[in-house]
Amino acid sequence: MIANYLSLSVILFCLGLLGVISRRNVFTVFMSIELMLNAANLMFVAVARLYESMDGHVLALMVMAVAAAEAALALAVVILLHKHKGNLDTNVFSLLRG
Amino acid sequence: MVSTLLFFGFSILAVAGALGLVLLRHPMNGAMSFIITLISLAGLYALLSAKLIFAIQLIVYAGAIMSLILFIIMFLNIGEKDLPDESGRWLYFIGGAAVITPLAMFLLKVVGRLPAGDTVIVGDGFGSVKGVGTVLFQDWLLPFEVVSILLLVALVGAVVLAGKREGRA
Repeated sequence: MIANYLSLSVILFCLGLLGVISRRNVFTVFMSIELMLNAANLMFVAVARLYESMDGHVLALMVMAVAAAEAALALAVVILLHKHKGNLDTNVFSLLRG
Repeated sequence: MVSTLLFFGFSILAVAGALGLVLLRHPMNGAMSFIITLISLAGLYALLSAKLIFAIQLIVYAGAIMSLILFIIMFLNIGEKDLPDESGRWLYFIGGAAVITPLAMFLLKVVGRLPAGDTVIVGDGFGSVKGVGTVLFQDWLLPFEVVSILLLVALVGAVVLAGKREGRA
């Protein structure tokens, strides 16, 4: 049943959201964002199967490309912040606070 | 019947991996359990007869992106003393769950309204490289090119951010 796949996607998305709002380790927050992107991918592919059209597959490919770009940039930022602050706590990274 | 069993096996593995990512303290353990989630999602894509996405999920996501993340975690050489103090995280878990549960119930209700299609494997090139490529290069050509520019910008930005600075701070 497609509805089971969609429910699994919702559950994974909410777990990723929980990881983003309750953890302070920057790597865990980053991977939770990846988990939410994967849940969106599962939703795309399941709905593509439901309506038997392949546009959802193309959108899943685009999401993967965005995730790859985001991983490269975010890890560069994490290395830079770790070099400056010597810490992995997201509370330490509040540089834009006025 | 077999596909139902496979679905429940893969979904239990996926949820367990996601729970491990959210709950485990060290990011290395979290990354390892997240890889379990990614591989079982690849199995779910195969059950949904998305053959190309199945292969790309394994090669790009579980292969390239996660090995990049693992490489950076090992590169920073994170010990027990480098981890942030998360002693109050159970409070955050309870509060976050209290916030997210209504959202999850709402989304599950919305999802339940969709028509329940069956998941037999469809043939006729559905989800194959040829089928997806035809759709990609006919209907989605402009977004595809924009994605290439995005990847170029991310590449240059990563080199500028993480590269050596000479001359200035």
